[in-house]
Amino acid sequence: MNVSGGIDAFAVSLWLLRIAFLAGLYLFLLAVSRTMLRDLRSASASTPGELGRLVVVASFEGGPPVGASFPLDAVTTIGRDVNNTISVDDPFASADHAVLTFRGSSWYLEDRGSTNGTYANGAAVVGVAPLGFGDELQVGQLRVRLDRPRPPRTG
Amino acid sequence: MSTVPIVTARQLGLRVRPRLRRRELGLLVLVSVVLLAGRASLASTLAGHLALGDLRLLGVYLVALFGVHLAFVLAGRRMDQVLLPTVALLGGISLLVMERLPQDLVVQRYAGQTFGLAPLQLGWLLVALMLMGGLGIVVRSDNWLRLYKYTWAAAAIALLLAVFVFGRDVNGAQLDLCVGPVCGQPSELVKVILVVFLAGYLADNRELLAGASTDVGPFRLPPLPYLVPMGIMLGIALGVVSFQHDLGSALLYYLVFLFLLYIATARVSYVVLGLALFLAGSAVLYELYPVVRLRVDVWLNPWADPQGAGFQTLRALYALGSGGILGTGLGAGLPTVGSAPAIPVIESDFVFSAIAEELGLVGALAVLTCYVVIAERGLRIAATAQDDFRALLAAGLTLVVVVQAAIIVGGNIKLVPLTGITLPFVSYGGSSLVANALVVGLLLALSDRGVEPPPPPSARRRAFRWARAGQP
Repeated sequence: MNVSGGIDAFAVSLWLLRIAFLAGLYLFLLAVSRTMLRDLRSASASTPGELGRLVVVASFEGGPPVGASFPLDAVTTIGRDVNNTISVDDPFASADHAVLTFRGSSWYLEDRGSTNGTYANGAAVVGVAPLGFGDELQVGQLRVRLDRPRPPRTG
Repeated sequence: MSTVPIVTARQLGLRVRPRLRRRELGLLVLVSVVLLAGRASLASTLAGHLALGDLRLLGVYLVALFGVHLAFVLAGRRMDQVLLPTVALLGGISLLVMERLPQDLVVQRYAGQTFGLAPLQLGWLLVALMLMGGLGIVVRSDNWLRLYKYTWAAAAIALLLAVFVFGRDVNGAQLDLCVGPVCGQPSELVKVILVVFLAGYLADNRELLAGASTDVGPFRLPPLPYLVPMGIMLGIALGVVSFQHDLGSALLYYLVFLFLLYIATARVSYVVLGLALFLAGSAVLYELYPVVRLRVDVWLNPWADPQGAGFQTLRALYALGSGGILGTGLGAGLPTVGSAPAIPVIESDFVFSAIAEELGLVGALAVLTCYVVIAERGLRIAATAQDDFRALLAAGLTLVVVVQAAIIVGGNIKLVPLTGITLPFVSYGGSSLVANALVVGLLLALSDRGVEPPPPPSARRRAFRWARAGQP
């Protein structure tokens, strides 16, 4: 404002410039929050049915390649028999070898009386063993790692 | 014709498959427009007529931003698209504030030329951007962090001890370590290494810490033997930094440790025990160190000694008050009284007060919201991480930035006792910018989701096929 009381064009435009800067900051935050909202929506829309994955660390002759991954159901059986959820055609695996179960909020591994045993992080499984994500298990010659479910696909 | 063999990227073994990052590009354009508006507002206030002023510094910064974006596009990784623009906005605001403050607050000579506050900050911002982009593009495996956690811990302690022996005093705290012409504050770097160590250790021992317990008489205490390695690391770090009077770093390390322990184990007893230890430790420090006593006394009543101990805090409060809701406008605040800055250390520890005065409550809240955005992205990266180490690492790195911002902003507005620490990405200072760039670079690398996953239904079928046919 001028001393005379008239409106100073510079003062007004400076004020507008200041407000534009502040408004710009919030415009940025608005754009960011829209991106976040879209991410959240797509995450909840495509909530994965899988509760975890098995990633192959070491395989047997003719088995799945290293790095291949299998999604897991709440109860996943592993063995040589074709009726298993994951059937492994490995001579060192028993027909009904092991079972992975998801109870509460974590995974458990149980040996189903296999001949060569089931191993979690190198230790033979006796009874029911709790598993954490990142743990390695061995069935026959197949070594697999338990991974978290794949994050939902966005952008 | 030239006989120079043309080596394509493919022959070198590099698979270049560009991936457009539209959201990042859009947000970066918005950031550029906002920063240009801010620059125009600053220049017009200083010149007294509508002007754009000297655009060289901001121009270099914006070009570097789009350079990093282009590098990300060419690298073709699927990284988070919000982190870079958010950090870029904070860095840009920092550059504007540094251009606005008196340039002789920090003066350094390199190669015969004298640089003031803003060019130095621009230089560090460029280094930080390069580091961030480099880490985001290059880091593909976390084994070098995961496997050598004790080596990293030892390096961190060695760094802290080196400061102890060779360090230089800054504002009554022994913080700086100089190697040749470059000086830095290792406590900033140590915070990143501490998170790497804690994430590695907690990921390995999570179940033990969450499940087991040590029974002492009728009390069920946490499993003490498994806490010992972390306790030693933390004890040395805390001991050294508090001996050096670097209270802000000590507080940051401890809070991040407690948060990570809770995230890893979900046991409230750790938090209760940790807070009890914190109160006991604070009481001991209050008795032992006059510095701590002074800080608490100033926090309780800065008016007791308005020209001495309370001066800084009072000035910061006046700045908040004069800023009001919309602020005085960039360049119209009160930078100096006579030749001294109105608030001591306004370029680093008290930069938030400068922002709150010139951009007002509205601008200050926008800056704080940027940290909330960083928190959301970081915790999201942690929640979708593939294993415990990555999840804890992402959560810890996020917490380091956010907790640090909370500590110093709380100190500036007299919400908590003031402990000197920088405001991430905004304060002047190379060590702080580089350390926080490391944090964001690692977060970007962790947020990469690798190659496009195959559609889900076929995965199960393939498993059967391998099993039955015996071949992939």
